[in-house]
Amino acid sequence: MKGISLRSAVRCAVALTTLLAVMPAGPTRAANDAASVSSQDVRAKLQYCEVCHGVSAQGFLGYYPIPRLAGQQVDYIQNQLQGFSEHKRTNNIMFNVGHVLSPAMITALAMSFHDLDPKPLANAPKELVAAGKQIYEEGVAGANVPACASCHGKDAKGTGQFPRLAGQLYAYVSLQLTNWSKERGEGTSDIMAPIARGLTEPQIKAVAAYVSYLE
Amino acid sequence: MRLRLALQTALLALALSGAAHAESEHAAARGGVQAKLSYCKDCHGVSAQGFRGYFPIPRLAGQQTEYIENQLRAFIEHRRTNNIMFNVAHVLSPAMVSALAANFHDLNPAPIGGAPRQLAGEGKKIFEDGVPDANIAACAACHGPDATGSGEIPRLAGQLYPYLIKELTNWGKERGQNTAKPDTSGIMSPVAHSLSRSQIEAVSAYVSDLR
Repeated sequence: MKGISLRSAVRCAVALTTLLAVMPAGPTRAANDAASVSSQDVRAKLQYCEVCHGVSAQGFLGYYPIPRLAGQQVDYIQNQLQGFSEHKRTNNIMFNVGHVLSPAMITALAMSFHDLDPKPLANAPKELVAAGKQIYEEGVAGANVPACASCHGKDAKGTGQFPRLAGQLYAYVSLQLTNWSKERGEGTSDIMAPIARGLTEPQIKAVAAYVSYLE
Repeated sequence: MRLRLALQTALLALALSGAAHAESEHAAARGGVQAKLSYCKDCHGVSAQGFRGYFPIPRLAGQQTEYIENQLRAFIEHRRTNNIMFNVAHVLSPAMVSALAANFHDLNPAPIGGAPRQLAGEGKKIFEDGVPDANIAACAACHGPDATGSGEIPRLAGQLYPYLIKELTNWGKERGQNTAKPDTSGIMSPVAHSLSRSQIEAVSAYVSDLR
């Protein structure tokens, strides 16, 4: 009786150890990745990002318009940081920022930005908003421009690799749509190339103004 | 008839004197700006290119107008502590502040130089790329690739080497001092804090020679 009990206790211990060794440490891979950087390092890096991207990552007008990252899709942020490091997206400053980040740090930063929700900077010309709303929701059928809402969502919150546009800086969205193919390369960004080309400058400004006010 | 003529003459004279009065006021205002500019240049240098007094006195030439306006207000509101500049600034009318800022913005003398040239290479790298491993942002992202600034973000090109060192070394003790009125200077606090003394010297040397 005593012998059996000891043997079964040993078996139990072995089984438990094996189970612990193969079990994932967290509920998702992302959370697992993020957990392997210290929260102190993440906080320091976030503060560094916010020097340029603004308080609570709401975006900032530096010499360049520097985009809002608050509320952004995790997959999109990860994809863009990789894009800078791999020269799929051309931006010297962000190349230098991106290429020193570990995958775990990228995940932790992306999740942190996703959870922020400051007010939009909201400095676009208000008179453009109505025209922008129409383009956003319906597209410009005559110019083969699809409705932005079909991928970015009715509230412009985005999904996965499709970025959130709600609250994004007017100047930044205008610049991206004007400059698309000079800055972005192959991959999912291809989807936007003909759309950016199809929009006129006033249409770009209108739709950029509309999304910049969305919360 | 004679009465009407007299009235017309009187009205005309009144109108003329009014115009003359407005003109002389305008001229006085212009003279006032010129007098004030030459007063500023006593310390900031003959073309506002900066001057090494007892303190390093910053270049104002080519500076962003919004930055100058914001700093003059900051001295008045005790957001930026500097007793000499508080006394200078708090007597200036808003119209005078705008006129001075516009005048300084339009000046373009050569930098006064004097920084150790051998530091410029490392400084250029910090300015353009930052130090990502040390969480130091690239200066160029906000101050521009030519360091000319934008809006409230100051021009650094041609700024005095010792002034830049003093500001970056002393940031949190001089700027953002009125807790009731937080301002854009807060953006620079972590950057100034993270830069080492030798990095500060390098980046200061680099921008001080830019035109």
